[in-house]
Amino acid sequence: MTGEPVPEQIVAAELRMILAELTGRAELLTIPAETPLFGTGVGLDSLAGTLLLRQVQRRYGVDVAAEDLNLDSLQTLGTLAAFIAARC
Amino acid sequence: MISNAAINSPVIKCVVWDIDNTLLDGTYLEDRQPRPDPELLAVLRELAGRGILHALASRNPAAAADYVREVTGLDFAAVECGWGSKAESVSRIAAELGLALDAIAFVDDDMAERAEVAAALPAVLVLTPEDAAEAADWPQFNPALITAEARRRGALYAERRRRHADAAAFGGSRDEFLRRAGTRLTIGLARPQDLPRLHELSVRTHQLNSAGEPVTEAELAAVLGSAGHLVATVTLTDNYGDDGLVGAAIMTRNGAGPWSVPLVVMSCRALGRGALDALLAWLCRSAAAAGASELLIPCLVTERNVPMRLALAAAGLRAEPGSVAPDGRAVFARSLAGRLPDLPDWATEQARP
Repeated sequence: MTGEPVPEQIVAAELRMILAELTGRAELLTIPAETPLFGTGVGLDSLAGTLLLRQVQRRYGVDVAAEDLNLDSLQTLGTLAAFIAARC
Repeated sequence: MISNAAINSPVIKCVVWDIDNTLLDGTYLEDRQPRPDPELLAVLRELAGRGILHALASRNPAAAADYVREVTGLDFAAVECGWGSKAESVSRIAAELGLALDAIAFVDDDMAERAEVAAALPAVLVLTPEDAAEAADWPQFNPALITAEARRRGALYAERRRRHADAAAFGGSRDEFLRRAGTRLTIGLARPQDLPRLHELSVRTHQLNSAGEPVTEAELAAVLGSAGHLVATVTLTDNYGDDGLVGAAIMTRNGAGPWSVPLVVMSCRALGRGALDALLAWLCRSAAAAGASELLIPCLVTERNVPMRLALAAAGLRAEPGSVAPDGRAVFARSLAGRLPDLPDWATEQARP
């Protein structure tokens, strides 16, 4: 018995696809929401992170860098999805 | 005629050339073996010698670019041969080379093409072939100093293309690729002979420059000679080629108190290879080893600096929300107690201060 997917879950699913495409790593398609984006989880660096934020802006019209001084929203896949879902 | 805005524009890092009736005297598809325009060829060679890249944007099959390479004997850092708009081609070239649009010049004999690019991309310096023939004398095409890294720039971009192609085809993680590629990063203290390259880095970097502005050679020399400061340099090489000195930082000693880092710069060529993360880790560890309590890195907060801010966040540095000063800077800080970021296993330290 499942409810309607909330926009946040849809955003998370789309982010997984963006990440997989950016890094060329298909295993990112199934990472849990709690997976850290930096460090050993997804292992984003400045380059991949910049490209991700550019895609997010293009896709959702949300400028994460402009609104989030410390980029806290990039902690995990889930925090980024929540940040975007709340703004689009 | 060049507008005042164009005259005051920053240094051009790449010239994008149209082929038919611009680089070539004639058209590729219709004329038999058209020759390169001798005046423009001389300009291309001169600019390449100054470390300025060249790219091609043409409504022609890809073979036209091969033909141009053959008859000019020159390296082109990027090529867009297709049937879409020139503005799109120029944008794609800028993205591929990691350059901002105001570092690009575009040369085309066709007035309609020039108008299209000028309208769609106002930051690009748009030139007629006649303008380009004189361009060698303009300030935008005259970097003040030409370092060894600058002269090798064309070759460096060829190496970069090969590295990217292999990275894209590689199945494993980014770190695994970097190890496989024989990446070697060395972090050490700057020497006087590094000054020209350090100055060049501060002038040329916009995305990965914490201060957002150049530092003069005199200022750098003063800091280099000062016992109260540390200037660290990062050199990067791998099996594809040697990028030389790609980044630097200035750190102010402050005993057991907070140490500040007035400048961090990194060439965007070193993006994606762990260099900036390694430099920030080195700064944290070196300051901590000397007894510092905290590390403070003032950073300009702009959309151009996003890669720098990402690296600061990944290294555990944070700014107070709402603390961005009127000049656009915020101070990103972290305590040096507890767990510090690691240096990647492909980084070597030359000396601890």
